Amino acid sequence: MLLRKWSASLDMIEARSLTKYYGPHPAAVDLSFEVGRGEVVGLLGPNGAGKTTTIRMLTGFMPPTSGTALVAGCDIVADSLAARQRVGYLPERVPVYPDMTVRGYVTFWAELRGVRRPRAQADAVLERIQLAERSRSLIRHLSKGMRQRLGLAQALVHNPDVLILDEPTIGIDPQQVIEVRQLVRELGKDHTVLFSTHILSEAEQICDRVLIIHQGRIVAQGAPASLREQLQPGAHIYVALACDANRSVHDVLAGLPGIETIQQQGEGYTLRFQPGVDARADIAEALLRAGCRLLEMRPVAMTLEDIFLDVIGKVHRD
Amino acid sequence: MRAVWIVFRREVGQYLATPFYYLIAAGFLLLTALVFNNDLTISITYRPASPAVVPAFLSFTLVFLAPLLTMRLLAEETREGTLELLLTAPIRDVEIVAGKFLGAWFYYTLLLALTTVYLLILNAVTRPDLGLAASAYIGIWLYGGATLAVGLLFSALTENQIVAAFLSTAALLLLYLGSLAGQIVASVELARLINMLTLQGHFNTSFAYGLVRAEDAVYYAGLIVIALFITTRIVESHRWR
Repeated sequence: MLLRKWSASLDMIEARSLTKYYGPHPAAVDLSFEVGRGEVVGLLGPNGAGKTTTIRMLTGFMPPTSGTALVAGCDIVADSLAARQRVGYLPERVPVYPDMTVRGYVTFWAELRGVRRPRAQADAVLERIQLAERSRSLIRHLSKGMRQRLGLAQALVHNPDVLILDEPTIGIDPQQVIEVRQLVRELGKDHTVLFSTHILSEAEQICDRVLIIHQGRIVAQGAPASLREQLQPGAHIYVALACDANRSVHDVLAGLPGIETIQQQGEGYTLRFQPGVDARADIAEALLRAGCRLLEMRPVAMTLEDIFLDVIGKVHRD
Repeated sequence: MRAVWIVFRREVGQYLATPFYYLIAAGFLLLTALVFNNDLTISITYRPASPAVVPAFLSFTLVFLAPLLTMRLLAEETREGTLELLLTAPIRDVEIVAGKFLGAWFYYTLLLALTTVYLLILNAVTRPDLGLAASAYIGIWLYGGATLAVGLLFSALTENQIVAAFLSTAALLLLYLGSLAGQIVASVELARLINMLTLQGHFNTSFAYGLVRAEDAVYYAGLIVIALFITTRIVESHRWR
């Protein structure tokens, strides 16, 4: 009981059936989830799934149609100003004033959010984000990657409990993508981070946990590894072999105990077995008996990509 | 209130850092100087120079000047996406609008203050009626505030600055020339009512002649409050789209 109470107080974001309708069209339906202190959570979904809508409700930009959420303990509906004070937000399109200097821009946001020593804090953040040497430049002269970092500086300047980033790696070059990902990873040490993405490998790399949302609903959530375990309907094994042409490999494989599907893939086959069946020894034995030579055998881990398509496919089938 | 001050300061900074506004200031001073010089020339022949000539000239010019000063204010924020960030900052929507309006009004006040140099010149060559000058300047200052508030309203409506400027010029022209409609109605009462709703109806026959009346000040203040109220609502509507 005590432990539960304690862990509840550690939730930095607690969404309670957040719902948003645009006219009759539902953009987010009954979203409930928690993000714990110091967690990095990815909001994953195809374009138009409701990621931005969810984020806009959490940041206090738009009120939910029904439901609410607590951000760092503050209700986003009843106590919006206090909640906004505790959130740093980077919208999808980095919002900048092209005619301001880098330092002036960050200082402006520091002041608006009531930072005590705005200038010193702005300098400290620019140092941290490695933009200090450009602090006197006009923003219009910054590259896109730098603007992205500047956007992060703006979101960080008041040292918020919660950082919310909307597609932080969109539209910048691969080198910068890697930098931003590292930065987000690093920020996760001091802040609670919620960020949206539709790039699955990205979520896999930097998140402790992902929420997969589709058509405004959460369709799956968990750590990337446990999601994989949960959703992977059985062991996948890839085998490559060399056989005499007159023997049908397919028949041999089909006779294996516990096998579900066989899929030819290039030189070899991907075999799916029922959950809990370890067929590796059987495969080797059966193939040898049939006079085939086993060239390769390895387990296939389901990528987040597969999980994603699987989950979304299921939603459509249901 | 603190947020109003911060937004205000940023806006004033923008006015003072952007070359475009220096161009406007230069054009503004050139035109008012020509008008003043013309009045001085006339005073040689058949009437004394008027200390209210620049404010009277501005009463029409503001129809075009105010939109130039306000078109950027909210249209740019909407286009650049910074409005979304402002709306998620821990400040109230009305503070954003008020800060921007006061910034524009302050810049206009600076411009107006520059024209008092003509009064100094006039004071050196003749003995102008300083009471009339004060009345006309107070009037045109309030008048300017009202036109800027209307300009701000149209800047909130669109993300295109040109459209914002065009719409606010059209609206101000209507507010300015509305009294002409009084000439085509038969009823004198109705004509008076229409005149009382127009911008010049509260300036040309009072402030411009040294008459400071509460009703005129209330008209401009009311226009400011109404325009800012609507602007705040428009800004707020971004949350519902």
